[in-house]
Amino acid sequence: MTPTLLTVIALTLGGMMVAAGIAVLFIKDLLSAIIITGFVSLSASVLFLLMDAPDVAVTEASIGAVLATMIFLWGRGKIGDDG
Amino acid sequence: MSTAFYWSVAGTAAGLILIGLWGVLTRKHILRIALAFTLADTGANLLLVWSGYLPGRTAPIVDGNIPASEVTSAVVDPLPQAMVLTSIVIGVAVAALFVVVGVLASRRIGSADVRRMKELKW
Amino acid sequence: MIRTLGSLIILLALGAVAAAVIPDLQMHEELQETGYAYASRGMDDTGSSNLVTAVIVAYRGLDTLGEVVVLFCASTAVVLILTLYPIGLKASEPSRIVAFTAKILPAPILLFGVYFIAHSHISPGGGFPGGTVIASAFLLVMLGSSSVPDGRGRLPAIESLAGLSFGLLGFWGIMTVGQFLNNAFLGTGTPGTLVSAGLIPLISIAIGAKVASEFSGVFKAFRNTGGKI
Repeated sequence: MTPTLLTVIALTLGGMMVAAGIAVLFIKDLLSAIIITGFVSLSASVLFLLMDAPDVAVTEASIGAVLATMIFLWGRGKIGDDG
Repeated sequence: MSTAFYWSVAGTAAGLILIGLWGVLTRKHILRIALAFTLADTGANLLLVWSGYLPGRTAPIVDGNIPASEVTSAVVDPLPQAMVLTSIVIGVAVAALFVVVGVLASRRIGSADVRRMKELKW
Repeated sequence: MIRTLGSLIILLALGAVAAAVIPDLQMHEELQETGYAYASRGMDDTGSSNLVTAVIVAYRGLDTLGEVVVLFCASTAVVLILTLYPIGLKASEPSRIVAFTAKILPAPILLFGVYFIAHSHISPGGGFPGGTVIASAFLLVMLGSSSVPDGRGRLPAIESLAGLSFGLLGFWGIMTVGQFLNNAFLGTGTPGTLVSAGLIPLISIAIGAKVASEFSGVFKAFRNTGGKI
């Protein structure tokens, strides 16, 4: 049984997403954590596309990866990295 | 085969939900808690879409490639996708409210550390 | 320390439950009952090629109306909090790259958003992603200038008008065929063409205008508090 391209992409993306999720909690710099969260959202939109959900993929890419990141960046500008 | 794809997506979603919950429970910085909340949100959305996924089918858009009589055997379930579409928008609105309240609270206290936000406890 | 340990125990318990439950979910070969009904009748009922849009706007349109209300409450709360408790930092000057990009990109982004909304019934898209794409174009405009665009009063007017027209389009169905948010009374046309699917394109435009104005209002409130976004 040879792995299909779909499986390889899903396994790679899934592993990267879980690793990035752990990195969000432990990385020191808050700016990096925000950008990594945006990366997780963007990878999730690729997974939505692979699961035959183009509407959800488009929505996740425009909302989860852009608007949510901008909101968190605004919050970081107001609070700062401390704590 | 597609079975491996199927279960790897489920594993990713479950992992993201657990990581997000862990972050909400253990982190101290209010914005990092909001980020962990967003991670759990993404995982839950993935799991919902996954529950309607059927291997070997196509997106629920009926065009010339699908005969009208065979739609039910050619497309994946449209219902979870519709629910998740609204859930994503609600999720980012709730995250915006979370961030705004967190910013105001931490500016009033002078620190973003949730251990010092005693007014929120009961 | 004890808190970390407690959280870890809770998570391990949750993980054990998930590991026990998830493998029992069978991999389905066929559609479930509700999904089967939507897939088999969706195109004839609504005239929309995109079954997801048919479910969101037509079959579960009332849920979408409630969801728009939730979105309205959240964005109103954000704007209200930031108005009552201003943070009061001045907006920073944009860098040359951002200022230059903000002159060029908003027009194609706006066009893309309008395309999303207008073609929601025949291709992937819809009011929600289209509205957020339009809002991100306005966000780029705001980031590209050091002052906040005025538009005072017009944004809430668009928002109210969009929400009102969503409700009125629903009541139109009650007036004609006695069913709230019925979309087929206008005639469904030929599926796959731009002018088809009854009320669905109109409601998509209402949803898109509402989402775009709400997120634009949130980002305008953010920008008004100043600082580096």
